[in-house]
Amino acid sequence: MPGKELLSPCMDCREAEAVFLIRSRHLCRNCYVRFVGHKVLRRTEQYRLRRSAPGTPRGKILLPLSCGLASSVLLHMVYTQMKEQRSRPHAPEGFDLHVLIIDPSSISSSSPPLGEALELLQQRFPLASFTQLPLHAAFELVPDLGGVLPRYAGEGFNKDDASLSPKEHLDAFRASISSNTSAADVDSVLVTRLIVAFAKRNECFGIIWGDSDDRLAAKTLASVAKGRGSSLTWQVSDGMTPFGLEFRFPLRDLFTAELQNYADCFAELTDIIKPDAPLSDNILTKNLSIDQLMLRYVSSQGAKYPGVMSNVTRTANKLQASQLSTNGTRCALCDTLICNSKGVYNQALHDTSPSQLCYACDRSRPGLS
Amino acid sequence: MAPTLCFNCQKSRAVIIRPKNRHKLCRECFLSVFEAEVHETIISNSLFTRGERIAIGASGGKDSTVLASVLKTLNERHNYGLDLCLLSIDEGIKGYRDDSLETVKRNAVQYDMPLVIVGYGELYGWTMDQVVEQIGKKGNCTYCGVFRRQALDRGAERLGIQHVVTGHNADDVAETVMMNLLRGDLPRLSRGTNIVTGSSSSDIRRSKPLKYAYEKEIVLYAHHKQLDYFSTECIYSPEAFRGSARTLIKDLEKIRPSSILDIVRSGEEMAILVPILGDEQAAPEEASVGGCGSQNGRTRGSEMAEMEKTLAQNEASASLETEIKLPSQQTTAVPLPKTNTKKQKKMVQQKPAAKKQVLGKCERCGYITSQRWCHACTLLEGLNKNRPKTAIEMEISPEEEESSTTLRRQMEQVQLAG
Repeated sequence: MPGKELLSPCMDCREAEAVFLIRSRHLCRNCYVRFVGHKVLRRTEQYRLRRSAPGTPRGKILLPLSCGLASSVLLHMVYTQMKEQRSRPHAPEGFDLHVLIIDPSSISSSSPPLGEALELLQQRFPLASFTQLPLHAAFELVPDLGGVLPRYAGEGFNKDDASLSPKEHLDAFRASISSNTSAADVDSVLVTRLIVAFAKRNECFGIIWGDSDDRLAAKTLASVAKGRGSSLTWQVSDGMTPFGLEFRFPLRDLFTAELQNYADCFAELTDIIKPDAPLSDNILTKNLSIDQLMLRYVSSQGAKYPGVMSNVTRTANKLQASQLSTNGTRCALCDTLICNSKGVYNQALHDTSPSQLCYACDRSRPGLS
Repeated sequence: MAPTLCFNCQKSRAVIIRPKNRHKLCRECFLSVFEAEVHETIISNSLFTRGERIAIGASGGKDSTVLASVLKTLNERHNYGLDLCLLSIDEGIKGYRDDSLETVKRNAVQYDMPLVIVGYGELYGWTMDQVVEQIGKKGNCTYCGVFRRQALDRGAERLGIQHVVTGHNADDVAETVMMNLLRGDLPRLSRGTNIVTGSSSSDIRRSKPLKYAYEKEIVLYAHHKQLDYFSTECIYSPEAFRGSARTLIKDLEKIRPSSILDIVRSGEEMAILVPILGDEQAAPEEASVGGCGSQNGRTRGSEMAEMEKTLAQNEASASLETEIKLPSQQTTAVPLPKTNTKKQKKMVQQKPAAKKQVLGKCERCGYITSQRWCHACTLLEGLNKNRPKTAIEMEISPEEEESSTTLRRQMEQVQLAG
């Protein structure tokens, strides 16, 4: 529009005022949403272009939603793509989207239950289906878990109390782990197992995770620090996992701040997203968990060196799972293949440990950490 | 309050808390547990063969002094049948090295081991003091590091010994894992975690018997055994990535003392998963890590910022990349005229080989290198020509390039395109 005077026009469309600065591009709202969306579109293209064999139902993917910023934005983006695709007449069938929410109040008693959020989500995203489960649903979905936990926890955990409900049973188990790092580690193992088992039961062929660039970097460093080096091939990498389904991290090219800008563009996201508790500065380092420490490290270093931090994940992505040396034994707790690295010093592992635990799960056992 | 009894023997009074697992131990139990763990490392990794002659790289610092003491003890106790000697490098730094060398000389008497000192002066014609005089205080760590790596090999060669053990501890190895993860250098990460380095291309093996020993426990061991060591640390600040990794590991250790070993374990697992190509690039000159802490160190301190800049440039050009890639990929799909498929297959097979280093001997000194001249001779050439700027050129010297991710990425793209 020739007559229109813009102070700083959007570098892409030149028709609107630029409001966002991303990767040294000044963009207007629409172009920003397109730019950011494209980075995710590229990562999910394979799923979008999927054609299922005639007569078979569309393939399903699972999106675990914590109602935090990243997973909510991922839901919004993937849903927008899905809707757009279904509106076109001859487009490939693509996929069905299943969303799983783990009730936050079943993980931490300080988190409020979701309440009406589920109905709200179903209303806003009618093409997707939603399920809410408590963490202790893991007992039902992973039948052998009930037997594994008492052996894992050892003496500190009252094993044969049949009167306990599944929730009390799980709470007692989790309470037997005293260190923050081990508790967070075991929780994330349980959450992953629940999500994977749910995805399998619902015949999903893959899971898309809402980890942003900086989260993945922190996860990479934390996994290494916890002795989970070989898990990087699926914890932060796209592709097949030891669980027999695919993991993908479509937000891997976006930083948290960029996701926040995206979320701010859509009013329908604001009442869904539960903001993360801010990182408190006055906690002693030794009281943090390793995951928290790494989040801090990545956020402080990422302010100066965002590229270096993103490169950490890209480096981990180069590791080749096919080279894993294993005899096929799986860890009883986390269900991943146990890596038999040659010449490894097993002195740290005590004779009392139940066999078939991977190094890192053994590390997080109560009493050892 | 009654004194806490030793966790191990339940008899004597506990005097230390093990940094590794917070067990409270008495002096005797701690010393014997520490020795037993090093023994376990040596046995489970079959580090030595009976009758082998071993040179202990001795700097006079805590790590190498403890290593010498423990190896002597274990050699006698478990009858390894090793012929041990001390090998020291004299970089020629007055007021620093001459003092620590005095310590090594006393150690040689205390442990009754022969000592050989190889000097930069006699090997290269330049002491570090002279190098610093010539090129100034910046960038001289590079010279020191390159010279030291060769000097250890040459010293061993002079003694007719094919196995050098160094005092690298678990903290050093964990630091190397984190540092190379931050730097995006998987081949070095893999090499740094190996307990034995040196390859078929080199006659001299290097190993780290203290790989699983905590730095803090090494200090405790030296203290309780009343070992005679030189405690001045290197005065140079570590390179930025190493510094960042070091700080991170100190924090991790506060949260979970086992972190250091856990990182070492992760590094070992990751080393298996590093694409094979990376292992073949292992150059003997780069086999060692850490050392005095400044071995990989350059005092510039801006490495992270520099890498950030490179990465940002890469990202900026990423959009162009795809535009170039597409047509070139199409051309590979079309069979080239006059080329039968057999040849094509051969070409494909040859490609990785072209990337691999071809190891030969330095034209000047005969040291193993992938270039015409070895690293040290290249540096010396610069010094002798009175051209101090070699230090800057070295940053992009072929050996360094080999491990630069940026360049590797570019090469991969060339491969894709070709």
